[in-house]
Amino acid sequence: MSQNADLTLSRPGESPLPALRLAWPSPYALVVWGVFTLLALPLLATLGYALASSWGATLLPDGVTLKWFWELWSTPRFQWAFARSLLVTLGALALSLVLVVPVAFLAHTRYPRLDAWMSGLILVPFAVPPVVSSVGLLQLYAGGPLPLVGTPWILMFTYVTIALPFVYRAIANSLRTIDVRSLMEAAQLLGATPFKAFFLVILPNIRVGVQVAVFLSFSFLIGEFVFANMLVGTRFETLQVYLNNMRGSSGHFTSALVITLFLFTLLLTWLGNRQAGHAITKGANP
Amino acid sequence: MTTLSGAPVANDSTLASGYLHLEGLAKRFGTTQVFSHINAVIAKGEFVTLLGPSGCGKSTLLRSIAGLNRLDEGRIVVDGEEITALPPQQRGVGMVFQHYALFPNMRVTDNVAFGLRMQKVPHEERSRRVDEVLRLVELNVHADKFPHQLSGGQCQRVALARALVVEPRILLMDEPLSALDARIRGHLRQQLRDIQQTLGLTTLFVTHDQEEALVMSDRIFLMHDGHILQQGSAEELYTRPRDYHAAGFMGHYNILLGDQARPLLGEGFDSARVALRPEALYLQPLADGAMGVERPARPGPECPGVIRRCQLLGNIVRYSVECPGVVLSVDTLNRGSRHLLTEGSQVGVVVDLDEVQAFVE
Repeated sequence: MSQNADLTLSRPGESPLPALRLAWPSPYALVVWGVFTLLALPLLATLGYALASSWGATLLPDGVTLKWFWELWSTPRFQWAFARSLLVTLGALALSLVLVVPVAFLAHTRYPRLDAWMSGLILVPFAVPPVVSSVGLLQLYAGGPLPLVGTPWILMFTYVTIALPFVYRAIANSLRTIDVRSLMEAAQLLGATPFKAFFLVILPNIRVGVQVAVFLSFSFLIGEFVFANMLVGTRFETLQVYLNNMRGSSGHFTSALVITLFLFTLLLTWLGNRQAGHAITKGANP
Repeated sequence: MTTLSGAPVANDSTLASGYLHLEGLAKRFGTTQVFSHINAVIAKGEFVTLLGPSGCGKSTLLRSIAGLNRLDEGRIVVDGEEITALPPQQRGVGMVFQHYALFPNMRVTDNVAFGLRMQKVPHEERSRRVDEVLRLVELNVHADKFPHQLSGGQCQRVALARALVVEPRILLMDEPLSALDARIRGHLRQQLRDIQQTLGLTTLFVTHDQEEALVMSDRIFLMHDGHILQQGSAEELYTRPRDYHAAGFMGHYNILLGDQARPLLGEGFDSARVALRPEALYLQPLADGAMGVERPARPGPECPGVIRRCQLLGNIVRYSVECPGVVLSVDTLNRGSRHLLTEGSQVGVVVDLDEVQAFVE
């Protein structure tokens, strides 16, 4: 009987269609779409407010405009804050790579015990809340031989420690996907110095891991607020501090700022994920 | 051509004509002595195999010659130049690794050209030499592929091409065939040997596969426990093992204690241990057997036995024969099912006394 019912749903030569299944999405899809909607709603509302010319007591905005974005992007204070955030974040990431890549390489090839130490060390930034560590940093670097508080340096060094777990783990995992020792030895036997062997053979093979670490770390460092506000504040106004300082101004303006920051972060995260996806597709061989 | 400590010493003219000299090499990892007293003189163009079980120190010895491990004692001389203290990149040795160690980020051409780039060879000459060597290993059609697009055998041929293109003074190969399947291994084994002979390349080859060593080598160094136990041609090592350790590793020797061997060799026999090759034992069916009766030239006493297992190894049939106090492995030619002995058959086992290897200890 049920077979006959199925046959009535399909044309000759086609397999019977599972009509009921198409009509009802699976519970998993409902949960996923529900969560997505919950997360997207505030952003959509903010986007709507950023695009509204004015939106007061009415259900819908009076009009749609890009003037808030234009006003934001043409404000020198925003441009400076953006530039400062870029400077601190890129500086921190560059410093992280310079410090972490050799350490991860040595831990993987020569000093395996170092890897165990590093695995413990990279948990510290998660274990200590940002407020606690920023108070400690303030006390340590407010005066004394290294009065760094209020300068971009303290923010840059702090960001290095925040990025450390992501950068170290991504690079260490990339090193595990290749036979570092044999590749180094093969390159050396073909006439390369250890330095050349590292740069010509090892580094290109962990490039994807490094890129993923950089993109992901960048996307959360550029949105970091607690350390930036407590350690440098208005003396070196970064993007998040600027956003905080502008909260009293027009809601449309700050909405444009939030959306700009979100889109920039989204772009970087997407780039990072795309790199990781490429690496998986190619079977860890870039 | 080759001399070794603990092995028959070659004459002075051989020493004088040597190309690669290993003198008193020793290596320790912590308190573990990996190898010691390694002395050898290897002639130019010779194919020498370091053969031995896992952990005997053969790979570490090869890596020490390459400069990848630092030696504790001894010196290495190539063509009159001492290279003991030189870093790997200055030794002029090429190496092929077990798992290829191809650079995953580079195409086949770039992998092969890497050594020439390091030598700053001009672009045109580099292309010509890469093309030549890729033709030699029959991989020119795969020049633009990445390593992950190649089979294991192709990867190993790229690794070989990469080592050959820089024209090394010595080629070192660390179990290059052991990661490959049997069919490809057989083909590549022959190809390796042909290329080595064509180029006249002095080659040190490490393997634990005795068949590989027997087929490919001019000389075999049999290693055991960090020492060279015996050296010689394939025929010498196979038919005249120096002691029971050597016999235990070569072929499928039956190693018997003196008492176990006496029923096969006679009462006058008094060596501590005896090694008998499976093909030097002959089976004589006691009942109306189906097999043809073969007799050795100088037979020993006939020892009664029972066939416990029969294994077909293609052209060879390997029988496990239970004799009083010992189970013997006996190989016969496979002459078809009519001649096969079934499990439980009563047989007499006779040894060819000319093929008995007796050891005092």
